[in-house]
Amino acid sequence: MKSLLRSPALYIAIAVVIVAALLPLWLDGYILGILTVAYYFGVFSMAWDLLFGFAGEVNFGPTFLIGLGAYTAAILDNQFGPPIFVCVLAGAAVAVLGGLVLAVPALRLSGPYFGLVTLVAVLLLQNAIVIFAHWTGGEIGMTVPDVLSIDAGENYWYALGFLVMCAILLFGLSRSAVGLILQASGQDRIEAQALGFNVTKHKIAAFCISALFSGVAGAMLIFYMGTASVDTVIDISIGVQVIIAAVLGGRRTILGAALGSIFLILATEFLRPLGQLNTFVVSAVALAVILFFPDGLLGYVLRAGERE
Amino acid sequence: MNAPVRLRVENLTKRYGGLIAVKNVSLELRAGEILGLIGPNGSGKSTVMKLMMGIEPVSGGTIKLGDADVTQWPSHRVARAGVGIVFQHSRPLHRQTVLENIKLALLPDSLIRLFADRDVDTRARAIADRVGLSAVVNRHPSTLPFADLRRMEMAKAIARDPQVVLVDEPFAGLTLSEVAAFSDLIRGFRDEGRAVLLVDHNVKSVAALVDRVFAMYLGERIAEGTADEVMQDATVRRVYLGGEIAASHKRAEAGAHKPPLLKVEDVSVFYGKAQALDTVSLNVGQGEFVSIVGLNGAGKTTLFNAMSGLVPYSGKIDFGGQDLSRLTAGGIARHGLVQCPEGRELFGDLSVEENLDLGGQHLTAVRRREQLSWLLEMFPILRERRTQAARTLSGGEQQMLAIARALMMDPKLLILDEPTLGLAPVILEQLGRALEKLRETSPITVVLGEQNVTFALPHADRVYVLEHARIVWEGDSQRFAREMGTGYL
Amino acid sequence: MVYLQILIDGFAISSLYALGAMGFTLIFGVSGVLNLSHGGIMAIAAVIGWLAAGDLGLGVYLGTLVGVVAGLIASYVTYFIVILPIQRSKAIPRDETEIFILTGTLLWGIMIQVGLAYLFTDNPVTMRPLIDGVTYIAGVRTPKNEIMIAVICWIVIGLLWLLVNKTPAGKRLLAASINPRGLTLLGFDLSRIYFFVWGIYGVLAGVAGVLLASFLGVSSASAGQLTASAFSIVVLGGLGSVSGSLVAAYVVGYLETITAYLIAPTLRPIPALLLLVLVIYVRPQGILGRR
Repeated sequence: MKSLLRSPALYIAIAVVIVAALLPLWLDGYILGILTVAYYFGVFSMAWDLLFGFAGEVNFGPTFLIGLGAYTAAILDNQFGPPIFVCVLAGAAVAVLGGLVLAVPALRLSGPYFGLVTLVAVLLLQNAIVIFAHWTGGEIGMTVPDVLSIDAGENYWYALGFLVMCAILLFGLSRSAVGLILQASGQDRIEAQALGFNVTKHKIAAFCISALFSGVAGAMLIFYMGTASVDTVIDISIGVQVIIAAVLGGRRTILGAALGSIFLILATEFLRPLGQLNTFVVSAVALAVILFFPDGLLGYVLRAGERE
Repeated sequence: MNAPVRLRVENLTKRYGGLIAVKNVSLELRAGEILGLIGPNGSGKSTVMKLMMGIEPVSGGTIKLGDADVTQWPSHRVARAGVGIVFQHSRPLHRQTVLENIKLALLPDSLIRLFADRDVDTRARAIADRVGLSAVVNRHPSTLPFADLRRMEMAKAIARDPQVVLVDEPFAGLTLSEVAAFSDLIRGFRDEGRAVLLVDHNVKSVAALVDRVFAMYLGERIAEGTADEVMQDATVRRVYLGGEIAASHKRAEAGAHKPPLLKVEDVSVFYGKAQALDTVSLNVGQGEFVSIVGLNGAGKTTLFNAMSGLVPYSGKIDFGGQDLSRLTAGGIARHGLVQCPEGRELFGDLSVEENLDLGGQHLTAVRRREQLSWLLEMFPILRERRTQAARTLSGGEQQMLAIARALMMDPKLLILDEPTLGLAPVILEQLGRALEKLRETSPITVVLGEQNVTFALPHADRVYVLEHARIVWEGDSQRFAREMGTGYL
Repeated sequence: MVYLQILIDGFAISSLYALGAMGFTLIFGVSGVLNLSHGGIMAIAAVIGWLAAGDLGLGVYLGTLVGVVAGLIASYVTYFIVILPIQRSKAIPRDETEIFILTGTLLWGIMIQVGLAYLFTDNPVTMRPLIDGVTYIAGVRTPKNEIMIAVICWIVIGLLWLLVNKTPAGKRLLAASINPRGLTLLGFDLSRIYFFVWGIYGVLAGVAGVLLASFLGVSSASAGQLTASAFSIVVLGGLGSVSGSLVAAYVVGYLETITAYLIAPTLRPIPALLLLVLVIYVRPQGILGRR
């Protein structure tokens, strides 16, 4: 604890958050909207990093968990109209269940097979949504009657507050004793067990935590946008964005994932004048980062102490 | 022996499909005692250790820790019950410091306890101090020398004060002075009243340290007793040495004046931090048969892999005037230096004939047919099995196929790495005869790497002894029989 | 009547799937790479072929050839600028290479998809048929083109079989997929083998892409779906087993066709997906996979 209070990084982080909180005073609604979405994506990526970077499980379909949370909340709101936080909680619960469902094959399969299961999960969810279009609005999507707020500034603060809270929780978890055990479990299962840790238990927990944050963030995103559709929360390309943001920012840093997401979404927006090519440029940059800086932007800085 | 039994294993058996890796092994680990579990590769000793730790499920028999039956327990439960293990290969968490690695070993298996107890830090430092890591507690594993990584593994294993400590290959990769320091550390564990199990290839290297020895071969116990008793045991000597030693009747030729075909100069190889070869120099003359003798883990395979261009090395290897570092691995084989590796590396799903055919791809069609018929004559069993998948052949047949396939390349120099590993004596005879015939009928140069001295000696013109990554002896085979024969083990 | 229709249509689409899947699994078996830009390479071949046949006025046959060559080039570009740098990179730890290759090829696939959409829009391109006209098979009206496509697919599959089983170069490929180190010890440099296999892959993907354009039409947007179905088929058949992919392609092709005809076209991909899930749980090595 003491070392934390003395570290300059903490004060930089606090300063950044304060500046971010003050942005609505200067920026217009459009940019605030972009940042709002970026902050929710930040949570998606941090949740992914916890699972990959710490528990060592590659989830190629994070949108399975995000989508479960989002659509559960949306359907509940449409059908029964309970308050938003109830819908969000329901979304979280269903997402956690989804996390458990994914955890089971993860423990039995390895290598490309588990990655495939996660991809297939997304495809199945996607198809399920299209089939049950009566409830889900199918490929077109659905709207939700409630939203968090109509004011861009308020929405922005909800998102920022949510991001900061999740960042503290997830980062704290990653640095805690439990985080250390997760890292060991992900890096070297046999060694972790030989040291007395029930790796299965910890991995399932990691899946559930990742699912919890993904589901809540997914639901909150819906109540920000007012709509839910396959293209915005389920499509594989969304999942790819989440993964790339985490890799760009630096695996196993948690905070890097959030930064990566913000960077990615801002960059895509910034390049919008290029039309469709903005995705091309962003993907090309991401590819270059993978090839030349596999530790990611933040990872490169943070890993300096580990190298000779 | 009045000391209480900490770990008792009874009729332990482990089957992998049709292969029986461990057969009815029974032994006891007592408090305040170091037991050496010795055996060559494939003897089952590492498997026994893994079974004790719960890393692999048992096929039969029981394991008791104190009064508790732990046979079915998963390894994390066994660990918490008081067993610590030091694996052969260090397994640090690279992103954490040494101190954090040790702290991990002290943490409870809890999902909820986010913060470690206050005394964890103190205890971790104490343990680091005990194993000699105080100076480097805040460094990351990738910055540490090899020996310190091994110390860290020891620290993790004893962190929770286990009653039983299992150590796999305690001295592999260490210098002599480091070996002494580690021996003291292990003796310390024993003197604290723990039961210690050391698993190793070589009785000699742990003789000074162990109180008792349990020798294994092909999954079974072959001898038990003090280190001296086991080293003198007839079965053990046969298994390790292959029986009586008879030197060949050939002498080192006066052809020592000719420039050597293969010249190895000051070659060193590191696997990460571990030194597998330490400035090894040797040479092989045209038409010679040189045996490189050494136990498992001495460095023979590493040496051959350096020659074949499969591992990076420092130093120089010269073959027929050509500096091998300029060629790719495939190029070296094409150049005439062909290895028949320890693992045989056959194409299991392809037939015997297809395997041989692939070996002969660099020859003309005519030459290939000649070579094939020559080899099928030398190894008639392969002619019988020519359309069978290589995977379905017995161990001895696979070895012959591997050698024949290497010979299909019409090599100038053939390296044979441990061809006798796991083979029955009858097959060894056949193999020996085939090698003799080879020497008689062709001008080929052969380098044979073997642990089985009885097999290696009769064919050899000269012998090198490789021990702990260094060449410790060289000379002709008759001198070897005189000087090294009895003391070799 | 419908059953005959299913039989014929299913055969054609399965043959196309088989071609693409066999290439995908060949790359995995020999090179160890799961190429998630597979659909992108097929799409490049399709679009370039269409461009050559139409806008460049080369006609259908020459256009098809140009398309296949484009697939070949795309394959090599993928290998040399995405795969090889990742495999050689010292900064990536050994056990994470696979994940990086998956992510890298995924990114590359996206780049291809977006690039094609930018240059050619994401409208589907359809190649003019290689043979015009229809014929009747047992009373079922079948475009001659469809038959031609199935025939070409099988000729290529036959050539592939001959290559792998009867030529020395092909046998080396097979050996490399079983034991690469063994092959090195026999004097073959793996880099040459990899170069060879990526070339074969490029041709297979190229032919599959161009023919698909002729049969159903291909757009830049289909790149992702093509990769997904190839991946599913390959896992079903057994990662690394070329004959397994062949069998699985027919299983999936027929499952899809039957679903489309008898249940509902929108539910087309579902049964195959469910089968995939079942296989992963019950027999993860696939129908003919080695384990």
